[in-house]
Amino acid sequence: MIVESKYRRYSRMAAAWFITALFVFPLYYWGTTAFKEAKEIFSVPPTVWSFTPTLRNFEEVFGISFGFLRQQEVLPGGGNFYMAPRLWDSIVVALFSTALAIAISTFAAYALSRMDFRGRHHFVAWVLSTRMMPPVAVAIPMFFIYKDIGLMDSYTGIILIHALMNLPLAVLLLKSFFDDIPREIDESAIVDGASRWKIFRRIILPMAKGGIAATAVLCFIFSWTEFIFVLTLTQTGLKTVPVVSSSFVTSTGTAWGNMAALGVAAMAPAFLFILLVQKQLVRGLTLGSLKQ
Amino acid sequence: MAFVRTKGLQGYITGDSPVPWLAPLVAMLVVFTIYPLFYNIWLSFHEYVPLKRRLVYVGTENWSNLFADPRFWEALSVTFTYFFVLLAIQVVLGMIIALLLDSDEPGFGLLRGLLTLTLVIPPAITGMMFLLMEDPEFGVLTYILEAMGILSGQDPILATSSTALAGVMLADIWQWTPFMVLIFLAGLRSLPQEPYEAAMLDGASAFQTFRRITLPMMSKVIAVAVLIRGIDLFRAFDYMFVMTSGGPGTSTYTLSLYAWQQTFSFIKWGYGATISLVSLVLILVIANLFIWIAKVRW
Repeated sequence: MIVESKYRRYSRMAAAWFITALFVFPLYYWGTTAFKEAKEIFSVPPTVWSFTPTLRNFEEVFGISFGFLRQQEVLPGGGNFYMAPRLWDSIVVALFSTALAIAISTFAAYALSRMDFRGRHHFVAWVLSTRMMPPVAVAIPMFFIYKDIGLMDSYTGIILIHALMNLPLAVLLLKSFFDDIPREIDESAIVDGASRWKIFRRIILPMAKGGIAATAVLCFIFSWTEFIFVLTLTQTGLKTVPVVSSSFVTSTGTAWGNMAALGVAAMAPAFLFILLVQKQLVRGLTLGSLKQ
Repeated sequence: MAFVRTKGLQGYITGDSPVPWLAPLVAMLVVFTIYPLFYNIWLSFHEYVPLKRRLVYVGTENWSNLFADPRFWEALSVTFTYFFVLLAIQVVLGMIIALLLDSDEPGFGLLRGLLTLTLVIPPAITGMMFLLMEDPEFGVLTYILEAMGILSGQDPILATSSTALAGVMLADIWQWTPFMVLIFLAGLRSLPQEPYEAAMLDGASAFQTFRRITLPMMSKVIAVAVLIRGIDLFRAFDYMFVMTSGGPGTSTYTLSLYAWQQTFSFIKWGYGATISLVSLVLILVIANLFIWIAKVRW
């Protein structure tokens, strides 16, 4: 063990806290903007620490009233900034696309982990290369294809395209989790006369459930934050939170407070989820290539 | 018994066909990547004619227009600038922060946790955050930079062509440097201690130790991080779309944004498809070349 001198120890701690504070500051500023009245958002110099917090932005965005907390007029839902349905759209799309991506990729990952067929490496390389495609090169043709087959502006269309977007990640990541399960376990199951399907169902899936959960969380987050496909392939039927937040920019100015309130609501579940998968995060971010 | 067992395992591993297991994946990838790819190629030889209200075959006109289009070359240069500058900044900054956070002291786990938060924010919303902070009138970042004398009050960050790209890059640096930090940190923490103890006994300086021991042992980790970040940097779209729409002029136009706007804002469907194909081919060539040279394996 290499021991640091006291001076180096403290300067390292100070620098680490300072750098992290720099990265946290924009989040703090955005978070507090959600609780500011317009005059405080537009004040010069900007208010950072001292302001009177308000829940008005959240009330307008979610169409609910926190009126019991104070004496003020109640805002009913249905205003310009009423975005609760858009949050629902985001949840539906993220949940179903994650389920679809996981369902498809557990089978594929099993084959890639447990079967030594010819061309397997090329197959993996092909899956990886679909991860490289610029979304715009898929979004442009899909716009015309969806128009032709009537999937434009539909949950089905967005769920399919988000599942597709997550497939390379899910397949490669699940393969790496399946690879961690020693083949000797399969071997002893064969001796006991288990079929391939039974090994998959009774051994691989239960043993990799932590990995499958982590993969699902990452798929959910990537669908939750996706922008260009929803921007291109929807009109009025549905919109997810990242896309709809650009509608707060109006000709009479930007509704920063409302936008920040929606942004905070969009970040909260993602923050919660990412803390659940801290241990698998690096493996997930590198598509299963690096293990922690 | 041992023989039977090995044979059983061999049969298990090479015996059945993987086709039924892979079929759903292949079906999805064919329908949603191969088919659109060919559709895109077909589109690039057609163009929408508003008077006829339909697509008309134009031969290679889109392709010859492309190479004569100065805005395309500017978009290409913005894309590559964005790609190389941010890759360099994020690798160097990520490594410095990772070395700083590589410690078992109390509190460092919390710091690592805080840094992961930026990774799950929708990039479009990050764009909005920086749009607010870089606002010429009431933006907190504008205010700080003016107070420090870096920025004069006359030039709005995102509306001045010399600073707009930097203003957009700042959002990307903020959101994705932690990506590098976390990956590098995981690599650093899994390194063996012995070489460091030997280096200390030999009286090596901190820089020598980093250069001769840390970097070589981290090469695979760095290569993977560069590959994955590089792919996303090349496809950059969200930040420019919300922050600047490509302007002022062409100063923040990336290939992806230019392709999208040509298709959907200017109704030049074939031309937009052509630009997106160029972007696709470039990223596939660069990424696969990198995988081959750096010997990244999955």
